[in-house]
Parts: sequence; C-alpha cells; structure tokens
Amino acid sequence: MLELHRDITIQIYAHAMEEFPNECCGVILTDGVQEFVRCCTNVQNERHAEDPETYPRDARTAYLMDPNDLIRIHREVDTEGKQIKAFYHSHPNEDAYFSEKDKTDATEPWGIPNYPDTTYIVISLYDGQINEARAYSWNDTTEDFVEVPIESAG
Amino acid sequence: MAVTVRIPTPLRKLTNDQAEVTVDGANIESIIEDLEANYAGIKERICDEAGNIRRFVNIYLNDEDIRFLDGKITAVNDGDEVSIIPAIAGGASVCQVI
Repeated sequence: MLELHRDITIQIYAHAMEEFPNECCGVILTDGVQEFVRCCTNVQNERHAEDPETYPRDARTAYLMDPNDLIRIHREVDTEGKQIKAFYHSHPNEDAYFSEKDKTDATEPWGIPNYPDTTYIVISLYDGQINEARAYSWNDTTEDFVEVPIESAG
Repeated sequence: MAVTVRIPTPLRKLTNDQAEVTVDGANIESIIEDLEANYAGIKERICDEAGNIRRFVNIYLNDEDIRFLDGKITAVNDGDEVSIIPAIAGGASVCQVI
C-alpha cells in the first residue's frame, strides 16, 4: 500500500498537466515526517533530437530523468537523511499501466531492479486532464512489478 | 589519484556491500580499470562490449555528469568523488494492447 497525502497528489498531478502532452517525471522524498515533491526535467526530447536511432521515442511516449536532477536528489538523500519514497511519471492519453518499457527501464542495465524498495507511480491523463494514478513496486517472489493500492491521506 | 566511488545498490554485491570504495586512477577510464582489478565483474556492468559506458549508467565526477565533461577521459583529482547512478526512464506502451 502506498499512502499519498492530498497535497503531494495535487503537486504531481499539476506537474503532469503542465507537461502534457509530454510525459513528466519526478520524485517524492520523505524525511519520515514530511514529504517533498521534486519535479524533474524529462530530457527525452533532447536525446531523441541528438540520437534518434538510440532514442526512437520523443517525450510524448517516454521519459528520461535529467541526470543533473538525479544527482541532486541523491545528494539531498545523502546529506539531509531523506529517502526516495516514489518515482512518478505520466502517460499522456494512455492508461496508468506499468508498461514493458517502464519495467525494463527500471531494471536496466543489470536486469535487476535499481530501486527495489521504491514505488513507481504512473499518472494517466487524457486531453490534458487527470484520469487516475496507479502505483507499482517490485515483488521479490514473483520477480516482477506488481500494482500496489494507493491510499489517499490528509 | 585516490578517489571515492559511490556504488549503486544493485552493484554492491560486487563490492562486499560497500556503498563507497576508494580506488586509484588518473581519469574515469582508469578508475573503472582499478575498480575491476579490485571488484571483478564490475567493469562489464558499467561498460558495454565496446568499452563504452552503458546508456543507462550515469557517471558523475563530484556533481557533474561526465557526458558534459570529457566522458571516459575526464581527469580526476585526489579526493574527488565519482558516483555511479543508473538512469531513471520509462514510458507508455507505443501500441498498447493491455
């Protein structure tokens, strides 16, 4: 079960709507008391423009978190005692499933989950309006990502 | 040059569960070689068959992505910190059938 506070949900939904029709991406951090949304930049369009062979998709159907955002988040985790509670991204004009690409990218490049204890939230939007969000995490028994229910709080 | 290398969780089984290790080298390439000499198997996790850093592996010198420095030949100094962090990526199904 993933407990999501209302103000956090509002922030990630706002980010998803702001980036529509592109996918958004970001992180929810926790210090054990408070939670914090860190909106990140999706650099998929830049990579696609530079190297369309390696990155055939643009940001409408893919995301790649800006590596500069990623290191900043890791610094914040290391220096401020926070933890990564969840990664989030959006699926514009698609449902909130955890796609094959979501699964493989979460286990690239070593075939094992990079963040086995972290939940991945997928936000579905249609025509720029929020449809729903669903959450997924790694299951050691099935060795696959499985849906975990989201419980709204606050 | 002795530098600290931060190891991501999935690779810590190769470093005896150490989150940070100290290795020697003049640039990122030689740092990776020294990592391999000390923790066999780690190089192939970081680099592909051609010796290039894998697409899903981000390497940072201090807080800078080495893609925006000199890549593998980025020089390091004593006391620098190198971080290895897997990319965060994904995306919708292009032809969704579910």
